[in-house]
Amino acid sequence: MKKTLALLLVLLASLQATSAFAVQATSFTYTVDDTMTLVRTQDAYLPDKTISSLGLNSPEDLFFDDSGLLYIADTGNKRVLVYDSLREQVVKELAHPDFRTPRGLYVTEEGQLYVADAGAKAVFRFDGDLALDHTFLKPDTAVFADTNYEPMKVAVDKAGSIYIIGEGVYSGVIQLAPTGEFLGYFTVNRSRPSIQQIIQRALFTREQRANLVDVAPGTFSNVFVDKQGIVYTTSMGLELDGLKKHATNGVNMFVSPAWGEEDMRDVTVNGEGVIFVSSQRGKVTIYSKAGELVFSFGSNVADLDVSGLYGSLPSIAVSPNGDIWTVDGMKGYLQSYKPTVYANTVYEAMTLYEQGRYKDSLELWNQALRLNQMSVLAHNGVGNALFHEGQYEQSMGHFEVAGNRHYYSEAFWEVRNDWLQKTLPLVAIALIALVLLALLIRRLDKKRHIRGLLRGMWARLAAAPFVGNVLFALTTARHPLDGYYDLRVKKRGSLPAATFLYAAFFVTFILYQTSKGFIYQFVRVQDIDVAGLSAGFFVLLGMFIFCNWLVSSINDGDGTLKQIYMIPAYALLPLLFAMLINLALSYGVTYSESFILSLVEGVGILWSLATLFLGLMTVHDYSFKETVKSLLMTVVFIIIAALVALIFIVMVERLYQFLGTIFQEVKRNVYA
Amino acid sequence: MSTLKRLLALCLVCLFALPGLAEDYAPTNRDTRYEPVTMDIPEPDFDGFEPLYETASAQYYWREDRDVIAVYDKESGYTWKTGLDTGFPADIKDQVKQAQTDEEKIKAAQPLEAQLNARYIGIANSLLTAEYYEAETIKFISSASREGASSALVKLDQPGRFALDVSFEEIDLQVKVNIAFEDKGISYHIPFDGLKGAGLSRLAALWITPFLGASGGVSQVFDPQAMDYGPAQPKAMTPGYVLVPDGPGALIRFRDNTVTFKEYVGEVYGDDYATATYYYNVLTDAVSLKQPVMPVFGIAHGHEQAAFVAFARQGAEHMSIVARPEENLRIKYTWAHPRFEYNATYYKVYNRYGEGFFSLMSAPLNYDIQMTYRFLSGAEATWAGMARAYRAHLRSEGSLTELEASGDDIPIRLDFILSDIKKGLIGPEQVVVTTARDAGEMLTKLNQDGIRRISSGLIGWQDGAQTLAQPGSLRFYRGTGDEQAFKTLAREQDELGTQVELARDFARVNEKMVRYNGNAVQHLNTWFVNTDYSWRYPKAPVTQYSLARPDVAAKWLQNVAKRAGQNGLGLMVTGLPGLLVSTHRYEGPEVTRLQAKDLLRDAFQTAGQDASLSLDQPNLYLWNSTRRYLQAPVTGSQHVFESDNVPFLQMVLQGSMDVHGPYSNFSFYAREDILRMIDYHTYPSFILSRQPAHLLVSTMSADLYSTEFSQYEQLVKDTYDQVNAALGQLVGWQWQDRTMLQQGVAQNTYARDGQIKHLIINYTHNAVDINGTSVPAQNWTLEERGAHGQ
Repeated sequence: MKKTLALLLVLLASLQATSAFAVQATSFTYTVDDTMTLVRTQDAYLPDKTISSLGLNSPEDLFFDDSGLLYIADTGNKRVLVYDSLREQVVKELAHPDFRTPRGLYVTEEGQLYVADAGAKAVFRFDGDLALDHTFLKPDTAVFADTNYEPMKVAVDKAGSIYIIGEGVYSGVIQLAPTGEFLGYFTVNRSRPSIQQIIQRALFTREQRANLVDVAPGTFSNVFVDKQGIVYTTSMGLELDGLKKHATNGVNMFVSPAWGEEDMRDVTVNGEGVIFVSSQRGKVTIYSKAGELVFSFGSNVADLDVSGLYGSLPSIAVSPNGDIWTVDGMKGYLQSYKPTVYANTVYEAMTLYEQGRYKDSLELWNQALRLNQMSVLAHNGVGNALFHEGQYEQSMGHFEVAGNRHYYSEAFWEVRNDWLQKTLPLVAIALIALVLLALLIRRLDKKRHIRGLLRGMWARLAAAPFVGNVLFALTTARHPLDGYYDLRVKKRGSLPAATFLYAAFFVTFILYQTSKGFIYQFVRVQDIDVAGLSAGFFVLLGMFIFCNWLVSSINDGDGTLKQIYMIPAYALLPLLFAMLINLALSYGVTYSESFILSLVEGVGILWSLATLFLGLMTVHDYSFKETVKSLLMTVVFIIIAALVALIFIVMVERLYQFLGTIFQEVKRNVYA
Repeated sequence: MSTLKRLLALCLVCLFALPGLAEDYAPTNRDTRYEPVTMDIPEPDFDGFEPLYETASAQYYWREDRDVIAVYDKESGYTWKTGLDTGFPADIKDQVKQAQTDEEKIKAAQPLEAQLNARYIGIANSLLTAEYYEAETIKFISSASREGASSALVKLDQPGRFALDVSFEEIDLQVKVNIAFEDKGISYHIPFDGLKGAGLSRLAALWITPFLGASGGVSQVFDPQAMDYGPAQPKAMTPGYVLVPDGPGALIRFRDNTVTFKEYVGEVYGDDYATATYYYNVLTDAVSLKQPVMPVFGIAHGHEQAAFVAFARQGAEHMSIVARPEENLRIKYTWAHPRFEYNATYYKVYNRYGEGFFSLMSAPLNYDIQMTYRFLSGAEATWAGMARAYRAHLRSEGSLTELEASGDDIPIRLDFILSDIKKGLIGPEQVVVTTARDAGEMLTKLNQDGIRRISSGLIGWQDGAQTLAQPGSLRFYRGTGDEQAFKTLAREQDELGTQVELARDFARVNEKMVRYNGNAVQHLNTWFVNTDYSWRYPKAPVTQYSLARPDVAAKWLQNVAKRAGQNGLGLMVTGLPGLLVSTHRYEGPEVTRLQAKDLLRDAFQTAGQDASLSLDQPNLYLWNSTRRYLQAPVTGSQHVFESDNVPFLQMVLQGSMDVHGPYSNFSFYAREDILRMIDYHTYPSFILSRQPAHLLVSTMSADLYSTEFSQYEQLVKDTYDQVNAALGQLVGWQWQDRTMLQQGVAQNTYARDGQIKHLIINYTHNAVDINGTSVPAQNWTLEERGAHGQ
């Protein structure tokens, strides 16, 4: 409790810290980069009006009708206000006696107002004059009998079907017919157990499983139907899929899950299909039609009254003129925002692009890009527009910054195709020339023994002990049984050569992790923990060698520690070659040809594993079964060794902390 | 003209006027409102007061039982009272009860202050209120408390000098307040050695005249018919506002609010992170509150009728300005006051898990307070009048000096980001986006394009850039250019009239940059102050930062300034100019905030002799070393109860240094923003690079998301031309006044040698007619020459 309080105070104190280049907004505006990390962008909206004079008490929902009137669910005061946002005055107040906790609103094109009231356990429908028209009570269907019916949010489609989010209903979005008949659950959230829970379920007994807490699916928090009749929902507790755009059968239409906050509370969609979401902790997030994050702004600061910083943000609405209106559920005032020139540029570019007017959109995307060179959206926009204009090479640069591997690959295919068409004759000529050169050399060799010269040089090189021992890896790769027999019996191979092979493998491995072509380089160099990777590689290798040596001592293995050290070094050569080949191929192969890389990598891994297995079998003079047993025991030993090391590290750390605390105490008592 | 023609003309006028009507200008709290509401000046009422002193402009009175000073302004006829001057309801009711006849009862029945309890009535009347600690809670006691405190005013030998001896018996604390009456103002001086008693160890803070200028309130008036008090009724609210130094300046107009609000607290010179409750903090997605760079506030009553401006001459280092909007703490007054801190609680940590307990400082802060109130009347009684009065005061005491300016062009600020650090495969990698040569080429190009008076800061010139280089290091990074390259750049640009500066943040340090021991600020709990930047810069190579000790930072500054000066370069200082922190050890403070201020002021003065200084949002004590004020704010923190923004800061500084606004790259490039620059007399700034900004995405410069010169060249030229067209005609002129002529139309008055110019800025989307001169929509006009904006 004390720590939570402390953290809260710290977060509040953080507002006192220095800022960077903020001009007129009260929170920073973000978009996402190619790694889905939030990055700063130009202010998209600026706080406009703050309306604190309405006396709102725990307001829960906002809705703009087509005429621009704002409906406010003033839940704590058990009323609905109709507010003229232009004239800044309340034009109507609806305080129906049956209202208990009016929490959700929806106004149809015909002007019918639907009010979801969890306390009254009903959805009320009012006509255009705000006279009660119908009350939708709990459906009396047997299927629905055991379900809680406390409507929190409501939306209505063109056919009059009613979508209700019920409090405590995990089954899904309740769908009623215009008559109030229960039609079923329009859509559901599926539960996603964590890895820990999956393991627990696999290992636990039935009794233990019964004691586990059920994994609840994310709970729906709101529902909205746009002008086209498309249903949108938001959910709480989901990092991905918190926002969904549903097809008529309830399935989510977003190809990639919409990334966003875990505490989404409300969703609304404007005429162009742009989606606006509010989250409990004060974030306004804006998505494109396809669910790509466009902007995110707003923040949660309960202890200050600053425009745009919220105690809680239960609802959001967009006026016909494009202004965003929000309501602070805790502080009880309305806050509007006006879009900036930048936001309008982005929206216009998105609209033109969706209309297929790529050339027109290009200019606007370039404007947006000029104002934010880190914007993935703008780079994608420019890249796509250029791609559709046939400017593939130029588009590749933008796709690369945007991290858009799919389109980069498409553009690259076009560029490569063009290059191949242009250079194919030259390549053919070069190949023919090479063949002719080879023939010429062969002919000349008969007279002048050129190849013999080369062979002699190679033989002399191979005769050098170190080189010879390194090249011995080729033998173990091609003839593992013979090679490792020679290693055991004829004492071929050497420690320096094996160490060199490990070093070569490690360098190749790091290059493979960091230096592939853009299409296949999924991790940025700066995001790679080279120190961790190196430590992991060498520690694991060391533990394997050491543990296998221990195991072989128990299982009568013939291999010495030196030989066990050499076995993996010589076995890794096929994988090393596979990585080198893939490294080169990654610069010339498109996304659709990725199976080539997978194939090469797969062959390399299998080859190396097989070589390692045969190496251990040969060196230790084990049967197949004994080798398997020895490997399994090695793995067990590694786990035990890791656990012991972990316990030791924890103990040392505790001791260090203990001594540190005593030192601090002594220091304070001496000086204080 | 025939009737038909007239009708047609009328129709046409209506047709053009319609869009204008549909788009009435609706100001936000980032604008200044047009609200010229006057007040009826009440008759002076000195009942219960005794005269104290009189000057040519004012009369001063004293009311012993309530600790209230009344100031009668002879010019305006308005009376200011340092407190509400109201009795305790229980006392008044007793007097009514004791009265024998109805007439006596009616006479005794003064209005009762409703909704204020006895403690708050004491505060509302008081000249001095003390905050003190009792257990872990804060309590208040005022010099006018009903019980537990007493005071006595003593006349001193010098004319107009008095001393108020306040005794807070309840906590055993005695405070001596020296009061000096000026021609039209009062100064309060509270020396630290005038604070006595055991209660000093519990004293949290002192407030001076908290209800001076308060507006609002609810009272119960005696009904002679019913011979009883009627229901509580709101008092007639005095129109006016509180000026707070939030950003450029913000007004809190007196309003009848319907929801409760938190108060505005401006920590003068920013927070002292070493004495904050916690030694660490986390940067989030909310923009930081803007803290006052000067210890000043004011209150105006009516429109150009009566006002005061109040400023600290001593003790500003521990001062905060508190403005409480109506409904704050459910009190129906808007009130504002200075708060001077003496002690505070902090979290004392005793193990590395961060566990600890709250503790008070071992000794109170030792400093003197001197607070001056100047009363203004007539045309002076506006926020602009306050700015003029404060500017005059700062110039008279030498904090500001007048700048000799001539020519027809305004200055422009063009900074360059040269490089920064990102994580590399093996170690940190310095990403270069601009070299010294690049910067020279770009500056020359802009100069050839007609942009004059450029000053330019180069960020990331060190080996290790801002992120890893020790701030005092003089090692140039070869990737951006060696020392000779920068020297050549400075020389070549100097020939073109461009001042080139090395930029450095001397305040922010990390453990990869320097060893914390001996270099970083230690909190009261002796831990190194820490700020976590990881939320804002998740990919940066370093995300945990501390602050440099002021004495160490001062040395670094002087070293770098010296070398920069030797190379013909100026110095652009970020971070440090707006930061004032102390540092502590077990034994107590090692460098106090007061000492830090003196150290930094001296260091900047020395540095200023070696190199021309451009400072990023410097605090007042550095203004006389500042040649250029960078990143001057154009909006405040936007507290909901703040109704307006005004260019108070810019008006105070104008004529003493070049004031540059925020970088136009970042959300400050629209037409409204250019008009704001012209209106606020703020010069343009840009930050540029040769390479695209996305190369910096994994560095601590990720905030600079758009800087590429090729993308900005035209915008730089356009912005400069637009601002220069207006402000270029006012170089060397003194900014005298700013008034709103109507909603969205501001008029700035400039004067030189008896001549006057009016710069009218029209923010609205319609043309407006001002005294026969038409100002186009979203444009400006300089009245004397009649020149129109672009």
